[in-house]
Amino acid sequence: MIESRNVSKFFSIVNDDRTADGITAVLSVSLAIDDGKIVSLLGPSGCGKSTFLEILGGLQAPTEGSVFIDGVQVLEPLPSTRKEMEAYSRRHKLLSPFANSMFANSPKHDIAMIFQDYAVFPWMTVLQNVMFTLKLRGVPRREREGKALVYLGKVGLTDSLRKYPLQLSGGMRQRLALARALSVEPRIILMDEPFAAADILTRERLQDDLLRLWSEIGITIVMVTHDPEEALYLSDEIVVFSPNPGSIRNRFTVNAQRPRHRNDPELRELKSRINALFRYDAIHENDYSI
Amino acid sequence: MSKFKSIICLFFRELGYFFKGAAGNLFSWEFLTVLLPLLGLWELLPRLGLVRRTLAPPLSEVAVTFWDMAANRGFLSDIGNSMGKFFLGLGIAIITAIPIGLLMGWNVSIRKRILPLFQLLSPIPPPAWVPITIIIFGVGLPMQIFLIFLAAFYPILFNTYQAAKDTDGRYLASARIFGASELTLILHVYFWHSIGAIIMSVKTGVAMGLVMLVIAEMYGGRTGIGYVLNETKDYFRIPQMVVCMATLGVIGWFLIEVLKFAELKLAVWKGGQ
Repeated sequence: MIESRNVSKFFSIVNDDRTADGITAVLSVSLAIDDGKIVSLLGPSGCGKSTFLEILGGLQAPTEGSVFIDGVQVLEPLPSTRKEMEAYSRRHKLLSPFANSMFANSPKHDIAMIFQDYAVFPWMTVLQNVMFTLKLRGVPRREREGKALVYLGKVGLTDSLRKYPLQLSGGMRQRLALARALSVEPRIILMDEPFAAADILTRERLQDDLLRLWSEIGITIVMVTHDPEEALYLSDEIVVFSPNPGSIRNRFTVNAQRPRHRNDPELRELKSRINALFRYDAIHENDYSI
Repeated sequence: MSKFKSIICLFFRELGYFFKGAAGNLFSWEFLTVLLPLLGLWELLPRLGLVRRTLAPPLSEVAVTFWDMAANRGFLSDIGNSMGKFFLGLGIAIITAIPIGLLMGWNVSIRKRILPLFQLLSPIPPPAWVPITIIIFGVGLPMQIFLIFLAAFYPILFNTYQAAKDTDGRYLASARIFGASELTLILHVYFWHSIGAIIMSVKTGVAMGLVMLVIAEMYGGRTGIGYVLNETKDYFRIPQMVVCMATLGVIGWFLIEVLKFAELKLAVWKGGQ
């Protein structure tokens, strides 16, 4: 269970004419995501959905509100008084608030993340990438290779174990990122536009792979996407974000049976509703900005 | 036993690749068309009397002198001696500069405390350290090693620090989310992300270190290439002088080739092939 309570994120920026300004990336997002579901965060680019996902993963601290995973707060709350601020900065002089610990490898929460541009380590081979991730999760040395091979097999990378990521195609790199995330057997996977960089054929195959693996393992997936079709095909629930400020616009539950067909009339109908929503927002862009 | 044998095989194979690569640079047809005429001119001009032979000894004379120095005057042990000092100094520079650089790149708090100090000290040219080093360490091995260390230290430190600081945040985030400790981040992410810059900086360190090797040996000690070089000046032995200079050139070239090979091996993932 992932729970975000009134999460907001503000940035301060400096304009070209050297005046200060504030940006509200995420405004008061409250969301509860049940275990074992696939939830899509859908919206145009710049609507704060990626920022929100990083807040869920503990890679960014929310300015207000907090995120709980199974009742445990993801990041310690930011200081609000001057005294708290001093203590906070003293505590994080050496270790950043996002660090795990100095010497012991241990994740704070049982989550894995797939980034938009993969972020697999280019200096490690395919096999080393997955084995390194297993090492971070404290899997004993003897078991690492076998386990890595199992998950690389699941995504069909058994033939390129000794290749480096730069030698792989974009789709294969994405599979590697998927294998790396799955290999640690997390309960939650966060995905930031995972298939945006792949061409349409690769994308559909990767989506099918993801669904197959998801039904095998049964994990919670939170996915950011700007493609309504992808969201409709994959998810149980679609949360539509709107920009300026990034906030929840609407929520749709997708009840269609799995395996779904991409041209399912139910999905078509939902898609036209979502598209109508986006069109309306584009026309009335200034109506709800604060 | 067979594992040991395969390691030996691998070693010799890599050694073969190395010499092939290094020699291939020098003995390409394109370069030979330049090198051979130059060597010919070196031999012919003094012999034809176009330049004074006492000032510019021909190539063959230099070669004979090298043979004579190696066989009768213990020049090889001088070379060994110099190399020993050089590697000690360079080694100390590498094992201190890389960790400090990585730490400064990793943490702002450490960076703010240490970096200004190095920024103040580094503009002092290494030769300017010679007098005070002689006073503190005396004339001898520690002083020479310290000077070589000093010359190689700053380039390695600053380049490592800069590269570590520029480490891509995506890699850090993805390692952290899987549970990496900060030590693991430094060893497996910051270090490898900076490996190209580190090897580049060691190349600079080698060049600077050779400069200080010669200066240190000229000022103190009774052994080494720099000492022999300085001595030839006093006795006006031009062929010996040329031998020393050529030896230094060959050593520098060889070390750079070694580092290029190391780069090829360690940063193999960068080329993508």
